[in-house]
Amino acid sequence: MKTIRNIIIYTWAVLCMILIPVTFVRSTGFSEMLARLPFMKINPRHSGGEIGRVYEHNNLKITVNKPVFDALIGESRKGFVQVRFSPADSLPPFISDTIDFDNNGTPDLALAIDTKTGQSSLQPIDKNVLDLNISSKVKKDWVVRVNLLNPGRK
Amino acid sequence: MKTPSAYSTTGKIGKSVLFLLPMLLITFVFITGGQPDFSGTGQVIGFIITYVFFNYLFFRMLYTGKTDRYRAAGFIVLALFFAFVFIVNLVRARGNMSFSDENILACEIPFCHIVITMIIIPAALTQTIIFPGSILEGFAAISLMIVIWLGISLALGRGFCSWGCFYGGWDDGTSRILKKPVIRKFNPVFRWAAFAVLILVALWAALTLTPQYCNWLCPFKTVTEFEKVTSVETLLKTIVFVSLFAALVIILPLLTKKRIQCATFCPMGALCSLTNKINVFDVKIDKEKCNSCLKCVTICPTLSLNKEEVARGKPSMTCCKCGKCIDSCSRQAIHYHLKGTPSDKKLTTARMLFLYPAFTLLVIFTGGTMQYGITLLIRLFTTGSLF
Repeated sequence: MKTIRNIIIYTWAVLCMILIPVTFVRSTGFSEMLARLPFMKINPRHSGGEIGRVYEHNNLKITVNKPVFDALIGESRKGFVQVRFSPADSLPPFISDTIDFDNNGTPDLALAIDTKTGQSSLQPIDKNVLDLNISSKVKKDWVVRVNLLNPGRK
Repeated sequence: MKTPSAYSTTGKIGKSVLFLLPMLLITFVFITGGQPDFSGTGQVIGFIITYVFFNYLFFRMLYTGKTDRYRAAGFIVLALFFAFVFIVNLVRARGNMSFSDENILACEIPFCHIVITMIIIPAALTQTIIFPGSILEGFAAISLMIVIWLGISLALGRGFCSWGCFYGGWDDGTSRILKKPVIRKFNPVFRWAAFAVLILVALWAALTLTPQYCNWLCPFKTVTEFEKVTSVETLLKTIVFVSLFAALVIILPLLTKKRIQCATFCPMGALCSLTNKINVFDVKIDKEKCNSCLKCVTICPTLSLNKEEVARGKPSMTCCKCGKCIDSCSRQAIHYHLKGTPSDKKLTTARMLFLYPAFTLLVIFTGGTMQYGITLLIRLFTTGSLF
């Protein structure tokens, strides 16, 4: 019994010698396999959430994501909505638009962005719109996150 | 009287060279990445220095029977070159060391192994990863770093903290500057502080769905990348990062000769102590040879030994397998060991079975980075520019 146990332990130790180089040599393949697992996706709080709708206005493609209220369990009281302005070639010097993020036909907030200086202002229209979280150029686009109150959790 | 060595390679050139042969091939493959690039003088010089450096270290480990002093040389070089190359690459790509809202929104923040401590609970409960990085693409992708950590944990357990972590070399290095500690007594109970940090950051990150250790506490932001200072909050964060780096990585290790950051503050170290349970290698104290001089307790850089553990014959679960206690024991009562095997037999075999994967890991992490770093330094000295 002891001999069998020792054989297993020494085999395990020898396998460790192989495991280190194999981990690195095959890391691309292993990480592709890992990436297929269901939990391997970026949390909406960091990715900006799922795309809600996309439309074109003033030569800009406007992508409005679904509001993000993700919490560890259930939904949080506060969240945000992400809006992306994508130009066909280059960003205009000034972006001014109203956004209807809950898709009810009435605007919920108005944004004004000076893309040269980065100065951005928010005009809340809906009562659940709080303030500006982030407004930044991202590669060719301009991305804005606006803080919201969760209407379902008051 | 000199105690005879416990290892069959000690003092024997022929046997040491024989055991070095596989490492000559391993270092060649992993320093060059399997695709040797000798296109310029800088690359050739970088390769030669790196190749000779690592094989010299491994030969000395075999020939002298000492582990820690040669491991530490490679480990400190890893920390320094990693920071140097990382910062140069950041400056090249972004123009400075800081990241901005743009990098966060684009999910292109490099993922480091310490973040793993914070993603586990949210991954289980929300089925998502709470980090603004890339799952598969680009530099330091999330899935790649998790795979590497899993592989290393299976093979070496907490040995990762002394043989592969590209941060650990900082406080390992500063803890070696003074010959004698200024603060002589540092209670080993502080090693459990790292577990408190682990619980705190894991829960804090889970509740806020944000990796808060990276946001507020990581001392190594000082030598890698940090959030661009654009507000009072980001200024405060930067002050915290720099203060923690100064205190935990420079001043306290210098004064105590202990790896204070690794031993008391690193959540990843605490997590590795837990995953170490599934690993086959440990360090054992031969109770018959031990005369309880407790030199190992004094010298252990991660506070992993106390009187009771010496009497029990094995260090605590926080042991990083650095080999410092093994080297310091004049009676050669401490040695690497395979769990579940007799502790006084086949000492050379157990040591070699541990050293090959551990040193290979050190070479993999350091080799390419060191070679590239040397190439950059040569470019700096010859052209006056790093770019």
